[in-house]
Amino acid sequence: MISVRGLTKQYGGVRAVDDLTFDVEPGKVTGFLGPNGAGKSTTMRMVLGLDRPTAGTAEVAGRRYADLAAPLREVGALLDAGAVHPGRSGRAHLRIAARSNGITVRRVDEVLAQVGLDRVARRRTKGYSLGMRQRLGIAGALLGDPPVLVFDEPVNGLDLDGVRWIRGLLRGFADEGRTVLVSSHLMSEMQLVADRVLVIGRGRLLADAGIEDVLRGLGHRVRVRSPRAEQLHGVLADRAAVERVTAEELEVTGLAAAEVGDLAHAAGVPVHRLAEAEQSLEQAYLALTEGSVEHAGHAPERPAAAEVGR
Amino acid sequence: MSALGWAAAAEWSRIWTVRSSWLLAGATMLVVLGIGTLVGLDASGSPSDVPADASAWDGGRPTAMFALFGVLALAVVTSTADHGHGGMVPTLQWTPRRTVLLAARVGVIVLTTAGLGLLLVTGACLLVWAIVPEVGLGVDGAAEVVGGTGYLLAVGAALAVGLGLVLRSTAGGLVSVIALVLVLPMLLAQLPYDWSLDLATVMPGSGALYLVFGEGPSDDMTTTSARLTLASWAVGAVVAGGWRLLRSDAG
Ligand SMILES: Nc1ncnc2c1ncn2[C@@H]1O[C@H](COP(=O)(O)OP(=O)(O)O)[C@@H](O)[C@H]1O
Ligand SMILES: [Mg+2]
Repeated sequence: MISVRGLTKQYGGVRAVDDLTFDVEPGKVTGFLGPNGAGKSTTMRMVLGLDRPTAGTAEVAGRRYADLAAPLREVGALLDAGAVHPGRSGRAHLRIAARSNGITVRRVDEVLAQVGLDRVARRRTKGYSLGMRQRLGIAGALLGDPPVLVFDEPVNGLDLDGVRWIRGLLRGFADEGRTVLVSSHLMSEMQLVADRVLVIGRGRLLADAGIEDVLRGLGHRVRVRSPRAEQLHGVLADRAAVERVTAEELEVTGLAAAEVGDLAHAAGVPVHRLAEAEQSLEQAYLALTEGSVEHAGHAPERPAAAEVGR
Repeated sequence: MSALGWAAAAEWSRIWTVRSSWLLAGATMLVVLGIGTLVGLDASGSPSDVPADASAWDGGRPTAMFALFGVLALAVVTSTADHGHGGMVPTLQWTPRRTVLLAARVGVIVLTTAGLGLLLVTGACLLVWAIVPEVGLGVDGAAEVVGGTGYLLAVGAALAVGLGLVLRSTAGGLVSVIALVLVLPMLLAQLPYDWSLDLATVMPGSGALYLVFGEGPSDDMTTTSARLTLASWAVGAVVAGGWRLLRSDAG
């Protein structure tokens, strides 16, 4: 359980984090979503006691991180995978971590095997790829078998295998009942792994909601192709905003793909292609920042469950 | 074990799991023991030049100056290693209580580097004695040399760690240590002004010189004044470095 209350960080003239308040609950993957520069890393650094808040507090299991004597048993974190001495072996790096928290050195070899680094563990980290460094950072986070895990953009720079591995890992942690906070600037990534998202922009909390609610709040955008596009347009236009993309293709905003398909079926219109368009974070971000949506044709319903704009 | 014990154990591992520490320690060992050997060979080659009351401790003592440079370099390198590679992020993640980290880092680096230096200087004295056994190896001289040299190396190491923590840069730390211990005292003593001589006298390098060779830029210096000068620098540097570690972001 992570509790953040009124957390604020000012860097000179820049307010990197602005009065953030949220809780991260156990048993779920909570995505921390926002474009680059939104303040995700700064927030995580304050949660971990690395940076001093200008105002507000952050607590893990009811205590300030900086007060924990053996923090690795409480919170595992991967912030900056590159932050490893290049001249030290991966194993030496983890042994130092273990010593600093009174964890048995045997545990180091266990986590190295768990992340698949056992064969390169005695090599200096200078020669590690980005993926290997990420794995080493994750091994460090797992060292104390902590109930709370914090990962800052863990999939950045990973190949597809690595990305899949991290997704599985996060899911597994949450299913074991741990508290998982993971940041990303990609909505598509969060869609795949998060149960809940905190969306921030310019340091402010924009949404705190289940992933489904946020996507629904964005409004579905569906592409549908039909040889009788004209007729389909008539059917759909009553229910949603419809735009003609090509002679045979329509873009529908405000209905799910299933609803479009059902309506077409009910009207007896053949459908040759039906696809939910990717919703990017940029769209989510824009939709969330625009206090009210002006373009009537693209007006998505605001999610009832999302607490928008604090 | 307590958090401080854990942090100290981690600091010890941090020192000895990077190659640069071993290289610096090895180089210091070669120089200090090498000079001890040369001093011994010199004395055995021309026994008439050796004062009647001289002991092996007198012969080996000057190597403390070289040990000091090794200690300073090792203390700067080990106290700044984390900062060069973003290593402070994991370090503070593992030991978030900054007072604990500060105590462990300063304590372990000072004890380790000064202890190593003292061991080497003692080794140099023993080498001199081994080569010219007739000079003797009195217990009084031992206590004096070991205590005095130990003090010098410990405050020197503390000064270097403090500078390292203030500057958070290996290169910057090395440059400023060399400036304070070598360049500035010599330069200031050469200038034809009273104030520059006064300033030279209170430089840490002058205090070190006085404690090792018994002479400094000014005749007013005493062992006590030299020790006080060095201690003031060390305390000042550790306070400034500690303040930076305790107060600022991980960086
Ligand atoms: N150490 C720092 N000094 C000054 N500004 C900073 C510092 N760290 C971050 N910032 C600024 O704070 C804002 C938030 O940065 P960050 O937390 O890294 O965002 P994110 O992780 O969401 O990409 C950015 O405008 C960034 O430039
Ligand atoms: Mg970031």
